[in-house]
Formats: sequence, structure tokens, C-alpha cells
Amino acid sequence: MEGDTVIKAEHVSKKYSRFLKKSMLYGIEDIGRNLLGMRSRSGVLRPGEFWSVDDVSFEVKRGETLGLIGPNGSGKTTLLKMLNGIFWPDRGRIMVRGRVGALIAVGAGFHPLLTGRENIYVNGAILGMGRREIGRKFDSIVEFAAIGDFLDTPVKHYSSGMFVRLGFSVAVHCEPDVLLVDEVLAVGDTGFQSKCYRRIAELMEKGVVIILVAHNMETIRHMCRKALFLWKGQVRDMGDSDGVVLHYLRLLQEEQIRKAQAEKGEQSRTAPERGGGGRITGIEFLDGQGNRADAFATGSPLRVRMEYEASGEIEHPVFAIHLYAGGALYASFISDSRSPLPERLQGRGAVELSIPQLHLPAGVYAVSAVLSREVEYNHIDWHNQEYFLQVGRKENSIGLVALPHRWSPVAAQAALKAKRTGEAG
Amino acid sequence: MKRADETVTTYEPDNSLRKGYLSVFGEIVTELRENRWLMYQLFRRDFLALYKQSLLGALWAFIAPLAGMALFLLLNRSGIFLVGEIEAPYPLYAVLGLSFWQLFATGIVAGSNSLVKAGSMILQINFSRKSLVLASSGQAAVSFLIQFALVLALFALYGIAPGIGILAVPLAVIPIMLLTLGMGFISALLNALVRDTGTVLSMLVTFLMFLTPVLYTKPKDGLLLRITEYNPLYYLVSGARDLVLTGALAEQEGYFLSALFSVGVFLAGLVVFHLTETRITERI
Repeated sequence: MEGDTVIKAEHVSKKYSRFLKKSMLYGIEDIGRNLLGMRSRSGVLRPGEFWSVDDVSFEVKRGETLGLIGPNGSGKTTLLKMLNGIFWPDRGRIMVRGRVGALIAVGAGFHPLLTGRENIYVNGAILGMGRREIGRKFDSIVEFAAIGDFLDTPVKHYSSGMFVRLGFSVAVHCEPDVLLVDEVLAVGDTGFQSKCYRRIAELMEKGVVIILVAHNMETIRHMCRKALFLWKGQVRDMGDSDGVVLHYLRLLQEEQIRKAQAEKGEQSRTAPERGGGGRITGIEFLDGQGNRADAFATGSPLRVRMEYEASGEIEHPVFAIHLYAGGALYASFISDSRSPLPERLQGRGAVELSIPQLHLPAGVYAVSAVLSREVEYNHIDWHNQEYFLQVGRKENSIGLVALPHRWSPVAAQAALKAKRTGEAG
Repeated sequence: MKRADETVTTYEPDNSLRKGYLSVFGEIVTELRENRWLMYQLFRRDFLALYKQSLLGALWAFIAPLAGMALFLLLNRSGIFLVGEIEAPYPLYAVLGLSFWQLFATGIVAGSNSLVKAGSMILQINFSRKSLVLASSGQAAVSFLIQFALVLALFALYGIAPGIGILAVPLAVIPIMLLTLGMGFISALLNALVRDTGTVLSMLVTFLMFLTPVLYTKPKDGLLLRITEYNPLYYLVSGARDLVLTGALAEQEGYFLSALFSVGVFLAGLVVFHLTETRITERI
């Protein structure tokens, strides 16, 4: 392994058994083989087994941060556990340089009856810290966790936030060379979350390799330059996080549409639609020239075309588009009586929402489309966050809104004058 | 930020097969040496947690052997069960024997539960799992110390001086501990794999307790005598008791063979555990 490579995974695979009883028997077989010095033939699938992680190869260099993304059950956590050495691969090889710290589940070793102080020692020891190391860092751990007077209270009386804070605090103090982070930051209040991110950023500056699993794509885009997209245990895409995230969201969207269509097909076969029903048949994003697109610059025009199909007659229809990012609703566009839209819908048709200037910060937005009767919550059809829209590039993606603005120089004398007037007043 | 102590760890299937079996011992010794403090902390955790929400706390270590002894005393007095000819006062004989027996009984039950009890922690943090098994027997050792204090109190009560052999008790405890840990390693693995192990084991321990002359003397004849002759636990427990009561080992050959057997069981348990622990983790 070359000097600056910290993690190298070569054709790594891991299999699981679908059934508990089979798993027990296979376990006995494997162990028997290991003891007798026989090869465990771990590269072969037995009946009832499947590859949870399948032929994954990648390399991470010093100071790099890799984001692991993929839907639930795509093998992200299994891969993390293999990197941590909790499971061994059934095929392939993993090489890791230095100490590995894991934030897979914070506070996993906490005993509810012990006090915070006692648990810091136990948990620190479990995470590989020595007596002197914990002694040296104890105050810093307590300060970071901000548990105050609760230090000598049994942790079962802690709020869940305090519990997580203490767990995280112990874990980030163990000075790893590689830090594996699995979704833990989703808990705790925002103040603590940003504290955690700052701490992780500090570690990154020190050259610590971070492997981050998150379902929040903004987190991945902020923290990771590289991303690895797992799909059913296999690497679907790897590279610059912007591109990989978009690829992932598109695939997710296609999958959701396919599922929704399958469900719809099922419904129409089993139960004929009630009178006055209808559905949204499609959403399209158009740029200023009327061309289809799904990436837009901040401040550029955006048009959203919504196609519908009414099976009966829909009176006083209401159309709505919502934009979400990171779980928060960023913008809502709901049609009302002032909108020049038809009073009743029949058959197929389309409406269009025009946004002259898209003043949203850079990011990937999930889009919901709603067709309702009379009031917005009276849904006829609701496509909840099924579409995705990319805005801008991530370099400037800070803040909640992107207000129109410009920066300009001020002549030196004018600036001085302004300052003097300010002082006098 | 380059550090000199950075070692490259490799994970691949059949690791020990590739590296050769002799390296196993080196790995085990290193792991145990590096994790002494972890073992202490794990032991401390269990110890603190056990007594925190308990009214009588450490007193239970006294109550259990006294109750067992009282039961046998009652059975003996009423002639249902004969404990045999004993020179020393029966309560002393029984409590002393029970203290050694409990070391094995509580130790092996705690050992077998250690992995399963840690459950999710094992799945989420990579740490020395041997330490978990080793630390679990610490509780048994503490109970032993408390019970031994009871033994000393009984000696004082009856006005008898213990034999000089009492100084050898720390040594006599070692083979019992080794046997317990060796079996503890194996049963922890089996229990993680097949949960029936725990149930079978707690039954087995009760069964063994009646089968082993702890609360009664070695039988004179019959099937029980033959079983006792091949029961290493008998030699280890009664050997240790003889040391305290009389200052001499009555059945030296049997005792040393049993001690050798427990060393073998310990080493075998340790190696089996080392070779299979990651496989087991997957099945927990």
C-alpha cells in the first residue's frame, strides 16, 4: 500500500443469510472449518444466502473524506462494519492504516445505571483509550458534551440529547486516523450538530480520513469531496460528490416513479377510480428557453409544467408545488382563485408554474406536486418529494435563501468620508 | 500528519489460515496485554451496576452459601440425605467447599452470557471480545473473596485454627479459574450461536453441583464413586478445601492431573475463541 493511502478495499464482498436457522447452521459449519484449518469457502453462496456487499473496491488517501450513499439495505453499514474490522469480508481484502474510530452508534457501551463519569471511563476503554489518555482528556470530554451538573447522575436519567452528546464526545476524543460516521449526527439539537461538524472539520484538517454515511445529501455535498454510491451491494457510481449525489437522486426518482406506476396499475385493475378523481401524470422542469433541464443556476428562471388527467370532473382544482431540502420546506407555490386557471378540469391537460428568478441557495431540492380540490390539503393526487432539482454549484451554498445582490468596490476617499461622518454622529 | 506507530491492518477471509497457526498465540498474548485496563473497566462496570439498584447488595454473596448449607444440614438431620463422615464442623466444611464451587458455577454462567449480554455493543464497536469474557469472571472472584471472609468468620466462631495450607489458597484457586475461563470461552461462543446453550448450562451447573461432592463427602462405592473419580471439579474443589482444613492434599495425583486438564481446557478455549470470534459476531 502506498504511503498516503489510508484505506484500500479490493473486491470486498460480504454475504448474509436470509433465515436465522440456516444462519445458525452455516455459522457452525464455518467455525468448524476455521478450527480444523480448512478453507471456509466463504466466496461461495449457499442456499438462502445473498451478497449484502458485492465486489466493492475503492481507495481513500490521507485527509480525504468519502461519503457513502445509497438507499436502505444497500450495504452501507455492512461496509462500514467491515472497515472497522467487526465483520471480516467473505471475499476480497481490506487494508487500513492506523487506528480506526467509529461513530456507528454513539453510547453503545453505556450502562444505564452508571453515572456519566463512570461511563466515560468504561466507554473510553472500549473505544481503545488508555487510562492516562482518558485522564488527560476527561475535562475536555465533559466540556464538549455540555452535560453540566449531570456528570454524576446515572445516564438512564439523561435526556436522549445528553446521552448522544456524551457518547459522541467520548468517541471524537479518541484521536483516530480513520473515523467512520454512520448517521449519528441526525440526532441532537442543531447547536450540537454544528459543533460536531466543526469537530469533524478539525479532524479532517489534521489529516484524519472520514467515511460518512448519511441520507441527507446536503451533508454529503458539504462534507465530502468524493462519494461512493452503493446500490444493492454494488458500486453504482464513485467520484466527485456533486455528480454522484445527483446520479443517486435521479435513480431514486426513477425507482419511485416505477413503484408509483406499478401501484397505480394495481389500483386501476382492482378498484375503478371514483367519480371526480384524477391524477398527476408528470412533472417537467423547463429553463428560460423552454428546454427540459434539471439543473439551474441560482437566480435563473424556472418553469414547472404539471400534467394531469381527470377521470371525472374536478371542480375548483388547486395545484401546488413544494420545494424541500434537508427535510425543510423551502418554498411553496399554491394556486388560488386569483390564478388564471380553469374552474373545472376534464380529461387531460397541463398547467405551468413560472418562477422568474430562482433565488434559492445551491443544493438539491426534492419537489412535491399536489393536485387538490378546493383547498390544498384536500388531495386528489400527491407526489411527495418524488422529483429532484439541482440549483447552482456547491461552492456558494451557505444560508437559507439566496437574495439577489451584487458586490462592488467603493472609491477610497468616499469610504473614508463615510467613516468620518459615522464617527461624528 | 504522519505517525511512526501506524500499522496496517488487513482483513480478509481465512486470515489465520494465511498467517499460520503459530502466530495465533502471539496475537492472543498481545491482545490480552494491551487490554488489561479495558478488562478492569468492564469488570468495574459490571460490579458497580450489579449492586447499584440492589437493596442487600454484596450481602447476597453471604446469603446464597448459607442457604445452601442450611438446606443440606436439614436434609442430613432428617436422614434423607447423608453427607458422610466429616471431621470439621459441617457448616465450615460446606461453606468452604461452596466458596470454591461458586467460583466455578457463577464464573461459567457469567462467561457464557458475556457475549450475548453485550449484544449490540459487539456489533457496533470493534474491541477485544476476550476481555469481555475474562472480565465477566471478575464478579465470581469478588463473590469468592466475600465468601472466604465468611469462612474465616466461621473458623473464629468454632474456635478452630485453619491449616497452614490456607496460605496456598491463591494458588489453589488458579486451576479452578482456568477451567472456568476455558469453558467460559467455549460456552460464550456457543451461546452466541445457539441460545439453548445458556439454558442447558444453568441446568448443567445445578446437576453438576449435586454430582460433585461439595456438600457431602466422596462416596464409598457405587456409580457415584466412579463418576467422582473422573470428575476434575471434585479434585480441584476438595483439594483446595483439604488444603485449608488439614494443610495437605489428600489425592495428589488426581489433583495435579486435574490442574493440568484445566490448563489444557483454558488454552483450547482461548484458541478456539480467537479463531472464531469474528464469525460469531456475525451471528449474534
